Amino acid sequence: MNTTDNEVVVRCRSVSRTYQEESVPVKALQSVDFEVREGEFVSLAGPSGSGKSTLLNIIGGLDRPDEGVVEVSGVTLNELSESALSDLRLEKMGFVFQSYNLIPVLSARENVEFIMQLQGVGAAERAQRAAEVLAELGIDDMADRRPGELSGGQQQRVAVARAIVTRPALLLADEPSANLDSATTRELLEMLRRLNETHGVTIVAATHDPLVMGYARRQVNLRDGRIIEDTRNEAA
Amino acid sequence: MPLKLLIQLGWRNLFRHKRRNLMLLLAIWVAVAGVIVMNSLIRGFQYDMQESAVANLTGHVKILAPGYLDDPNIEKSFELAEDWQPDLPGVTLEGWAPRIRIPAVIMSERETRGIQLVGIDPSRETISFLDSVKMLGESLEDAADRRVIIGKELARQLETDIGRRLVIITQGMDGRNREAGFRIAGTFDADGTGLEKLFVFTGVNALQNMVDAAVITEVSIKVSQQLEEALAQQQLTEAFSELEVLSWQQLEPQAAAMFVYADSAIFIWFLVMMGALIFGLMNTLITAVMERVKEFGMLRAVGMRPRSVVAQVVLESTLIMFVGVIGGVLIGWLLVLWLSDGGIDLSQYAEGVELAGMRSVLMPRLWLQDVVLVSVLSLVFGVLAALYPARRAVQINPLEALRR
Repeated sequence: MNTTDNEVVVRCRSVSRTYQEESVPVKALQSVDFEVREGEFVSLAGPSGSGKSTLLNIIGGLDRPDEGVVEVSGVTLNELSESALSDLRLEKMGFVFQSYNLIPVLSARENVEFIMQLQGVGAAERAQRAAEVLAELGIDDMADRRPGELSGGQQQRVAVARAIVTRPALLLADEPSANLDSATTRELLEMLRRLNETHGVTIVAATHDPLVMGYARRQVNLRDGRIIEDTRNEAA
Repeated sequence: MPLKLLIQLGWRNLFRHKRRNLMLLLAIWVAVAGVIVMNSLIRGFQYDMQESAVANLTGHVKILAPGYLDDPNIEKSFELAEDWQPDLPGVTLEGWAPRIRIPAVIMSERETRGIQLVGIDPSRETISFLDSVKMLGESLEDAADRRVIIGKELARQLETDIGRRLVIITQGMDGRNREAGFRIAGTFDADGTGLEKLFVFTGVNALQNMVDAAVITEVSIKVSQQLEEALAQQQLTEAFSELEVLSWQQLEPQAAAMFVYADSAIFIWFLVMMGALIFGLMNTLITAVMERVKEFGMLRAVGMRPRSVVAQVVLESTLIMFVGVIGGVLIGWLLVLWLSDGGIDLSQYAEGVELAGMRSVLMPRLWLQDVVLVSVLSLVFGVLAALYPARRAVQINPLEALRR
């Protein structure tokens, strides 16, 4: 899928971020320039401390850069208040977390409907969209189970369903395969690829898992807070 | 964030840690039920005190001659037209009673005692304790009845009995002593001996004849609704501008002060019980928030606004308190029902109870307004207890929370 002419969904310009770790400054990102276009499936790879998660969090508005500008869907994140950032995340982004982070007191269906409820989507539409997504991800028969009654892979599917059901402009995944075995990881990645190819969902995944990198169409490698490699994965 | 979603989450989280929340609910039930029961006992005490004060020949409002309270004697009296009726627009009267009440000495063959001699119209004394006392012998027939009724205790002290004669000495209108013989029609058995020793009743017309004056010293008025007391007092003050018109609170200041104290006691008791509870609730909520740091982090990350996080914690606290209040009120109500079956017998503390103006059996009284007040304040406390944990929840950095 050629995405080079598509609209820019994420634009980072000269983004830097420094953390204090026990009074020692750690430069997590150093003047990073990075763009993601609509429909791309990008993996942010690199060793621990390379800055991939920091970049993902800054794109997601969960962290703020010390320097530089971050834009998502044309909105500059730097000046937004916490509430405005919350609204932006709610409307434009979907998140898949390393440890699923489903709400334990809600069923799979209710977890999937949760963000739509936050958005104020009507009950009938919520139910229809949740049913469609759950069916698409092959977990419709588990819709009434709570997270505690699901396997890790099933929970991650529910987490993906929750992230994509709102049709976000951007799906951010932080180490999505960290708690999954290889087979389940492949299933998850097939699913993400299908979402990317058939629904045009833009995906940015921070990972150190070669499997994930292999499925991404674009691989961005970071080291010491800088992008050292940005390549197209034609084989994917 | 939709309220329905908040309530759904809050309700389900109630069952997330069943044992811990059940313990908390038990504490709320005990506290709320305790407050309800204690309130009803204090209200019963208040009611007794007020009823006793009003029934002890006081009424809600009383008309007196100026100076009578400082020096009660027949000279401090006034005339009342025979056809006089209280005309009090906006006030529903339960009854009214004109009386002569003067100090006197009573003598039997063996003993002498100082008493309050009270001339009454028996048909009007439905508003005083005479209407509810146990009578031995006969009651007075009418205002002209020349016999007396005396308390059982006074009869015992005078070593006399029904049908026997007594001599009563009191001051006449001219300042000279009057002495007359009276036959005992009956004895009354009041709740406690204070009234039995103090009052001797005869017909008001008979007493007017004895003191040589067609006067009375007081008119007691009892209203149906306590809220109408002030209106009745105001209208009577305008009608009897040369007399004193006093409320029961002015006539029985000690009882009135105790009444106010009881109101305060209810509030203090509530604060003590709920104040202790609020720390337990706060502690549980903080624990619940700290256990769910990651969840709150996720909620913030996916777009839940900070104020929605606050709302969720506050709503969870309010829901726990709501369930606790419902259960506590129900338990308290059942306990009050149980206690109301015969009341609490305080007769072994008879002297103290009488001093406090109470009856020997304390009947709890549950007021709807108290239940509403306790319920509403408990919910307010629930909200207050949640503020600090909510602040902790909203301070959770989603990024740090998700890294856990």
